[in-house]
Amino acid sequence: MTRLALSLALLLCAAGSLRAEDLAVERVLTSYHLMRPSEKDLAIYRLDWASSLDEAQRRAAREGRPICLVIIHSKYGDIASGHC
Amino acid sequence: MPFVVTSWFGHRNDEKIPSVVREVWARKFRPRRSQRGTRQSNVDFAVLDARGKLVHWFDAVGSTRYARPTDLVTNTLKQLRLGASRIRSLGGPIRPRTANLLKLPDAAPGKSGVRVFVRLDDRLMPAYRLPVVEFVDLSARDWLSLQWPQQPRTVDASVLKKWLAEVYPPGVMERVDRKTKKAFSISSISGSLSLKAAVPDADARYAVASGRVRLGDSGGDGFAFEGDLDLVLTYARDNPAVQTMRGVFRGTYPRRDRIRQTTRHIRLEAVFESRPR
Repeated sequence: MTRLALSLALLLCAAGSLRAEDLAVERVLTSYHLMRPSEKDLAIYRLDWASSLDEAQRRAAREGRPICLVIIHSKYGDIASGHC
Repeated sequence: MPFVVTSWFGHRNDEKIPSVVREVWARKFRPRRSQRGTRQSNVDFAVLDARGKLVHWFDAVGSTRYARPTDLVTNTLKQLRLGASRIRSLGGPIRPRTANLLKLPDAAPGKSGVRVFVRLDDRLMPAYRLPVVEFVDLSARDWLSLQWPQQPRTVDASVLKKWLAEVYPPGVMERVDRKTKKAFSISSISGSLSLKAAVPDADARYAVASGRVRLGDSGGDGFAFEGDLDLVLTYARDNPAVQTMRGVFRGTYPRRDRIRQTTRHIRLEAVFESRPR
């Protein structure tokens, strides 16, 4: 909500002195800021991901840390790629 | 969370299954007298100690039986804590992670590209509302079609396929090959964008590219969806090459319900940002 209010305020402040082309720039950038996921939405990227089980095991041994392994029983399910 | 997190996917009849996965599946699929009160999903969690030894595992759904999303979260956290406590009780080390920094998919050093955030706003499938993040490597050649417009011009959206092809929902089950189970990929992109210069500021020149685009997949049944694409590009004052790009896609995805034989039109959004700038 705060992001929405700030973005709208910025857009309104700028609108007074802008032409149509500039308004298009402001409109797209405002949408970009409003639609870009928040840090909360991206919390899964705060986890300490390793790209494979082998890498996770090497790092765990080196750093003295446990591993959380997500096992997906599926022919296609590479969650590291984003789309799974 | 102190864990190094990773994932593995495959089938029980695969040739190369990690020993720890074999161990989990041997326990999971062991015949039991009664399985009342639990549900099996196709996702399991395993907690390993620093030496890679299995200390705890659980089905992602298990006793929560798909009740509520919050129950799944609560149960997952509870089980992971249980796994960590077992490691401690066995005398294993658990060194905490130093910082939980947000680390998004990004360009490798010296490389550049586009980061794509995609979200399907399906109110019946809360998990799909979380963003998928992909990074696509691009070369200088990939940016040529968007270089500085001396005059307004039209850009064929298909030339942006490398990164627009990431605009599809996460894990939508019905758009997979029935035989291979592989998800169809975006194979055709059509539409045209109007690329126009905007008024520069003290630091850079700007241009806006906007238009309607249509994305079709490799299913071979004519399936496609559409949306509006808007991009803002910046350029140095003395160079036509794109410096940065920010943009959005607002579309509608026709999600087919095979049981009810209906189609729901769901908002599909994407956000684009060039990297490293």
